[in-house]
Amino acid sequence: MSKPSVIIIGAGFTGVGTAHDLALRGVDVTVVERGPIASGTSGRTHGLLHCGGRYCVKDQEAGIECIEENLILRKIVPEVIEPNGGLFVALDENDLSYAETWIDGCKACNIPFKELNPEQALAEEPYLNPKLLAAFEVPDGTFDPLRYALAFAATAKSNGAKFHLYTEVEELIFDGNGNVTGIKVQDRTSGERRELHADVVVNATGPWAGQIAEKAGAHIPIHPTPGVMVAYDQRFVNRAINRLCKPSDGDIVLPQRRMVVVGTTSFEVEDVDYVPVVRDQIDMMLERGAELIPALRQAKMRGAYMAARPLIGAGTTGRSISRTFKCFDHKESDNIEGFVTITGGKATTSRAMAEKTADIVCDKLGVTTPCVTKETPLLPYHQYYTLPD
Amino acid sequence: MAVDTNKPSSANWWKWFDPRARDVGTWAFILNRITALGLTLYLFLHLVVLSTLAQGPQAYESFLNLIKNPIYTFGELLVVIAGIYHGLNGIRIGWTTFFKGAPIQKQILYVVLVVALIFIIFFAIRMFTT
Amino acid sequence: MSTNWNITLRINRQKGQNAPHFDDFTLEVHPDEYLLDAIERVWAYHDRSLVFAHACHHSTCGACGMRVNGVEKLTCITPIHEVTKDGGIVKIEPMRNFPVISDLVVDLSSLYARMEMVGHRAVLPLSEEPAKIGVARVVHAPDDDYLRLSDCIECGLCISACPIATTTSDYLGPAILAGAQQHGLNGDENLLSLVDCVNGVWRCHHAFECNEACPSFVDPGTKIMELRNAVIVARIKSLFASGK
Repeated sequence: MSKPSVIIIGAGFTGVGTAHDLALRGVDVTVVERGPIASGTSGRTHGLLHCGGRYCVKDQEAGIECIEENLILRKIVPEVIEPNGGLFVALDENDLSYAETWIDGCKACNIPFKELNPEQALAEEPYLNPKLLAAFEVPDGTFDPLRYALAFAATAKSNGAKFHLYTEVEELIFDGNGNVTGIKVQDRTSGERRELHADVVVNATGPWAGQIAEKAGAHIPIHPTPGVMVAYDQRFVNRAINRLCKPSDGDIVLPQRRMVVVGTTSFEVEDVDYVPVVRDQIDMMLERGAELIPALRQAKMRGAYMAARPLIGAGTTGRSISRTFKCFDHKESDNIEGFVTITGGKATTSRAMAEKTADIVCDKLGVTTPCVTKETPLLPYHQYYTLPD
Repeated sequence: MAVDTNKPSSANWWKWFDPRARDVGTWAFILNRITALGLTLYLFLHLVVLSTLAQGPQAYESFLNLIKNPIYTFGELLVVIAGIYHGLNGIRIGWTTFFKGAPIQKQILYVVLVVALIFIIFFAIRMFTT
Repeated sequence: MSTNWNITLRINRQKGQNAPHFDDFTLEVHPDEYLLDAIERVWAYHDRSLVFAHACHHSTCGACGMRVNGVEKLTCITPIHEVTKDGGIVKIEPMRNFPVISDLVVDLSSLYARMEMVGHRAVLPLSEEPAKIGVARVVHAPDDDYLRLSDCIECGLCISACPIATTTSDYLGPAILAGAQQHGLNGDENLLSLVDCVNGVWRCHHAFECNEACPSFVDPGTKIMELRNAVIVARIKSLFASGK
């Protein structure tokens, strides 16, 4: 009897994470992606390995998920992480008044933190605003977006997963009962078209999940919500610097290689294929970033870009939507068998997203092998290219 | 995979001599190769000329008369230019390899070019006014 | 500068076994925008068949290297005003010396495989690759405790720019030799023989185009020279060691 087969549409964090999980469970996985790996939202992530402190007040489900996954990722894929921790910094009385609520939130989510007085904070990070009133050390980190995805993809490949990049889904294929049995794709490097078949098709296309679901006549409440990131040419800090306040715009500054990256904003769009960089938002990042790191004003901008978060939820828009992910088994929601959509979520919890998705998919396939991704170290990311296709 | 128009191959050697969209390091690289070829050709010709010595004083005398033509003096100037540049750039290459000159290779090249120019003018004047 | 420009992108197109050709796309752009944004707009609004590589859009992934008017550039951090002016034509081609997959995308497998071979470390102590903050001199106590993602983003621009790499794919190339230097010889005989050979450190002929092309402060040409010295020292040492 042949292995149960799955096609995953999308090679962002969700796609490669799910491919990795399913491949370890003995499923025959094929990933199709219309660009290169991580060329959608995932590639443009800020790169913050969250400790959960950002969510521990308003979204404790997300906070708990983050700290758990943070510790797992540090173990399974250290080669793509700058694990130097982070600081939540209070700059004014407003921030300081939030501290107690924040501390309660951290405790509720089991997020380790340590209070530093301003002298200690400045000794660790001399470029911080000297007017800071308090700082809390947390286990944040920075990760390389592409290499994070490549590491999952490499490991999936080593367990038999096939990747078809630059391959775009044009249509879904249905059987006589309206169930999905495959996809029609075009190889964008040659123009050739062909069909691929599988037992289950997983839609892991992030903010495009709605578009792909439409091909099956299903509707997903996706609210693509981009934000700006601005990279500057000096590595002023070695830790992730978070403003100690309710999640707002421009309140995170991350080190990465020889840069710092300031983010972000939040606004909804319709068209996700191209989100123009809004110059006002770049200016705002400089202003907000300079509040945390005054020397930012002396740095030169190196890059600026927009990335569309795949937020989901009915009703509310913007920052109050939960960052957790949702898996839509279209058998339940639209009576379409063989088709599953996974979207929402954030990079830090992508492994967990993949686990839940793989559980649902394996349930449909009758595969009972349990998930082992929590304990399985990933292969070196180079091996995505060195393993034979 | 598309048609491979990018394939590295020894047939691409002529691309070494295309300075378009390249920086000054490539100019040094190109001149090094041209002067090397020039000096090698000169060495060959030089040996041929010296061999006329073996053919007796008349053969050599007629050669000395031939080279009184200023065209040959110009040719000799080219050899001098080639030798000076190749030698000085050779020092630059040694410096960048062994004495941490790589980070300042462009500046060293500018100095090489200026020094070479001074020597070339000096020798040109000497060669054409004696 | 708030006025927009009109520029033409002259983009290399290659599909399957067909011969390559150039397609022109005229766009309205802001001069401070990055070239990659303009290329992405060509895909989004002009020609959905355009194939190009990108991921992070801020010089950390190394995916978007291309030749712009013949010069190697990381397009996500290349502002349009750096490569053209209002009414200008920008020729965009894939990097040299790698097999072309399609349009602007090349196959970087050999680069990644060789970086693996020489043991390039993706994450390493800050003290081994200092990030040189230029604004003021800062002394960090326990530097060695901080880890950072390494300078080299494996973009391939240096290999595209290298004249030697144009004539042979056997030459390890600047990125790889710099990667070997980052790893350090440390008495590793395998690494030593890998780099101390005709297609290793000795194939470099000092064009230093790699230093010009590198967008990420690696200066591979300089690293090749450092590696040469390390190789010589290692060989001399082994000469005396074996003489005992």
